[in-house]
Amino acid sequence: MGKILCATRGGAASRASQDAAIALAQERGDELIFLYVVDISFLNQTAAPLVVDVESRLEKMGRFQLAMAQERAAAQGISAGALVRRGQLRAELLAAARETEADLVLLGHPVGTEAVFDEAAIQSLATSLARESGVKVRVV
Amino acid sequence: MKRIALCALAVLGLVSLFAGIWWLNGRSGGGRYGTSFFVSAGIFVFVFAAISLRWMHETSAALLGAVSVWLFHYVAGTFFPTFQILDFEESMRFVDWNVIFLILGMMIFMAMFSETGIFNWLAFRAFRLARGNAWLLGMALILLTGIVSAFLNDVTAILLLVPLSIEIAETVGIHPLAYVIPEVLASNIGGAATIIGDPPSTIVGSHLGLSFVDYMVNMVFISAICLVVLLVLTTGLYWRAFSTARQRTSPALVAQLEADARITDNRLLKKTALVGLATIVLFFVGDQFGMPPSVIALVGAAVLITWVRPDMHRMLREVDWTTLVFFIGIFVIVGALEATGVIGWIADAIAHLAGDNLTTATVLMVWIPGAASGIVANIPFTVAALPIADFLTASINGAGNLVLYWALVLGADLGGNATYLGSAPNIVAIGLLAQAGYRVSFGRFMRDGVPVTIVTLALATLWLLLHY
Repeated sequence: MGKILCATRGGAASRASQDAAIALAQERGDELIFLYVVDISFLNQTAAPLVVDVESRLEKMGRFQLAMAQERAAAQGISAGALVRRGQLRAELLAAARETEADLVLLGHPVGTEAVFDEAAIQSLATSLARESGVKVRVV
Repeated sequence: MKRIALCALAVLGLVSLFAGIWWLNGRSGGGRYGTSFFVSAGIFVFVFAAISLRWMHETSAALLGAVSVWLFHYVAGTFFPTFQILDFEESMRFVDWNVIFLILGMMIFMAMFSETGIFNWLAFRAFRLARGNAWLLGMALILLTGIVSAFLNDVTAILLLVPLSIEIAETVGIHPLAYVIPEVLASNIGGAATIIGDPPSTIVGSHLGLSFVDYMVNMVFISAICLVVLLVLTTGLYWRAFSTARQRTSPALVAQLEADARITDNRLLKKTALVGLATIVLFFVGDQFGMPPSVIALVGAAVLITWVRPDMHRMLREVDWTTLVFFIGIFVIVGALEATGVIGWIADAIAHLAGDNLTTATVLMVWIPGAASGIVANIPFTVAALPIADFLTASINGAGNLVLYWALVLGADLGGNATYLGSAPNIVAIGLLAQAGYRVSFGRFMRDGVPVTIVTLALATLWLLLHY
């Protein structure tokens, strides 16, 4: 039995990739782990007082997003794991792929107008991730 | 594409500014505007563009600007006296230390309050009380954000409330934008209500030497009206989403939501609530002792630190020094503009435009900052506009009731709602939404922001003209 690591953020744009990951895990009989990365680099532009522990708050939000994804998987008969990491997406994806010994990393195609990344950015991320980790990366 | 257009606009603006100054200089017989005039204007425009176009961190831009003022003064000014802008001692006189220490005191409060989990607990109570009614819940969250923003910094309010609001929206089956964008708009509106709510409010209130109460009695009514108007507009904009929302999460997820919204430290909450309440009372009565708001905030922070005994190293790490350095830098840069006559030149031009007519000046002081705040950073804009308000207040009959300053506060605060670049809470909320998988485009934010901005600015103008 292999391991599939599916990076997700939640939101309508991520549901298609979550569904694809669940279907693939069912088809291959693999273990499925959803990954959420807390990246607060967007706060680096503002001089507003940031006295709140933003990372912890976003980690809770991430766990909630992953719990929703896990419920979707459970509805399809798949018991999925959940992993939250803090840092930059590329570095954390790489570290998570190594730590979980994943055989396959899944990234979602941008869907609709709300997708956070565009197609070129996702393809570039997939290429560099596959090169650096040696793990198969698929954009679904 | 948007970035290129904004850069082109900035370059065009810069060229037009210098061409205009050069032309005016020629018309006035030459020599009226010295080298230091152009250098200080250039530094300000660069910092303004760097902040508004996100070329660099706001604090880096402000610090670079302040250091440039001193470098030109000391280095170039040694060889060419016309480059002398403002020396260090003189520039420190332009820094409003009341603003700096008020922000410092409030940061200590905010750091402690944020650790209690009280605001998330309140948001979850609203969720429970609404019993799945998405509209009622939206209205409660918007009101809560507006009120919290009046008493805490608006960015802190957004950082505390938006992540849970996204979870709540997903729980009740409504698109998170239907809650989060109106919450951001409410934070900018609520921030105008008190002297501690929003940076432009703090800057203007401190400049005028107003007490917490003096400021609040002038601004709380119009802020409340704008907040009510926001509720009505939100209902109209999102009616379909509110009416079709259906809860789609399991009881297990609701339980997780509740766990995320628990009060994390009851003892800390009791202490911070008591000291917070006493500080608010002191804000109301402090005027009797001639205490400026900064001293009151520091008194509260000192009592809280003494009582709670937090790890002081951690506490000092949690104070966001970048904010304080940013404000000092901006005050120095605008001080340079004042010292070299740039502000006087702009004030002359606006006075010429307004004539001696207070109504025209009031309308201009609402709508120029209002329009500008949607596209450029409203903090440096407000600092730079203050001396202009001073000049106009002194030169126009009947302006002694401070109406032009209120116009500036309302223009800068409410105008920041038009685009997501308009104010820091907007930028932070967009980042939080992206973290949850919802990207908000420039146009999507404007769809809600522009109508709310136009209506609230129109209301503010009407209120100022009728009330003052």
